[in-house]
Amino acid sequence: MMDNTVITSILSMAGLGLFFASVLALVSQKLKVKEDPRIERIEEALPGVNCGVCGFANCRQYAEALAKEEISPNQCKAGGEEVISRLSGILNVKIEKKIDQIAVLHCGADESGRKKKAIYTGVKTCLAAHNTFGGEVLCEYGCLGYADCMRACPFGAIRMVRGLPKIDKDKCTTCGKCVASCPRNLITLEKIDSGNLIYVACSNPDKGPETRKVCSVGCIACGICQKLTGGIFYVENNLARVRYDKAKNIANTEEVINKCPTKCIVNV
Amino acid sequence: MINLTLIFIAAAITHNFVLTYFLGICPFIGVSKRIEQAVGMGLATTFVMTLAACVTWVIYHFILIRFGLPFLQYVSFIIVIASLVQIVEMFIRKTSPALYRALGIYLPLITTNCAILGLVLFMVLREYTFLEGVVFGVGAGCGFTLALVIMAGIREELECCDIPKPLQGAGITLIIAGILALSFMGFGGLISR
Repeated sequence: MMDNTVITSILSMAGLGLFFASVLALVSQKLKVKEDPRIERIEEALPGVNCGVCGFANCRQYAEALAKEEISPNQCKAGGEEVISRLSGILNVKIEKKIDQIAVLHCGADESGRKKKAIYTGVKTCLAAHNTFGGEVLCEYGCLGYADCMRACPFGAIRMVRGLPKIDKDKCTTCGKCVASCPRNLITLEKIDSGNLIYVACSNPDKGPETRKVCSVGCIACGICQKLTGGIFYVENNLARVRYDKAKNIANTEEVINKCPTKCIVNV
Repeated sequence: MINLTLIFIAAAITHNFVLTYFLGICPFIGVSKRIEQAVGMGLATTFVMTLAACVTWVIYHFILIRFGLPFLQYVSFIIVIASLVQIVEMFIRKTSPALYRALGIYLPLITTNCAILGLVLFMVLREYTFLEGVVFGVGAGCGFTLALVIMAGIREELECCDIPKPLQGAGITLIIAGILALSFMGFGGLISR
């Protein structure tokens, strides 16, 4: 009797197993999904942060589009050179090199430099403060310091130093999220030619005395930098700006930075 | 007919698998972030539950009882459930890749979802007829979907709320699950079964 039970249990379980195995085999033949095996590899090579800069909702969709060879693999800014070279390896295509860029903040007023006009107790985001009469910051053009850009950055490249965003040029991938997040449009993407970039950390287009009233480190459009660099710096709308494409020709970088009366010319 | 209705209502609401028996908590917490995902997961589970109820009933009554092997019910039920989940997985992958990716690991995890094993074991224990078993499966699936969708709805609203830091994520979800279970307890006296 005991033997009988053992035999019937083994047989019935084996039968069940075989039955379901054959059903599964049949179904898997019927429902086979043809997928480009490169999609998986491309997806692995991508950074996987789903930032959306390439124009697709996430890295997966970009990988699918790449596998269909609809677009060029240099759309991914987040991954930088490394990812692009890996992708070109997987897809067997050559891609032209792109130029190094970095996000630059055109305001230099940190907590101590910022003059205040009121006490702001509203929602602690730049956007909210900007829409409520500019929060507590007196300057209508300057950084509000509530770190909207830091929260927007998918790569942790921005940290707040004494209320002012500091952009880490090694981590910045020029994805442009911070540019869009700043309600005062203080951040732009600029090319770094020589690995060294100097820029004017101010966006206040008011006349010199007006700017002085609201900020101790604002550009007063004195024109000293213009004279020192022979026109590579130029003053427009009461605001000094650099011709970034010629910035590497400036020989006396130190002098320009030091001679600026309000110290608003800074290095990246 | 009244009996079938009662079984359905009991499985779906008064003795809801998730909120009364606390079975299937893993997908209940894991896949309840978006209503869309919750509906997909709920439907997949309902499908597996209904089919599992049918197939296990047949296997239990025509193989296990006949050959005097009811002690093999756990093993054979798990084989049935695992195979069904495999089929559902392949089907979803074919028809809706987006849902397939959204469900992620939780889809193969239906295999080890205790709600389904619980369902077929309850069915055998309560000696349901075939039709009753099927209705029980559909009801339990609907109840699971209902619980998941309610949870997902609450969690979507919760995204805009100011939750204390230590409670964010799983903490607040478990608290809500508890409150939901309390409210479902209110249906308890409706049917005694």
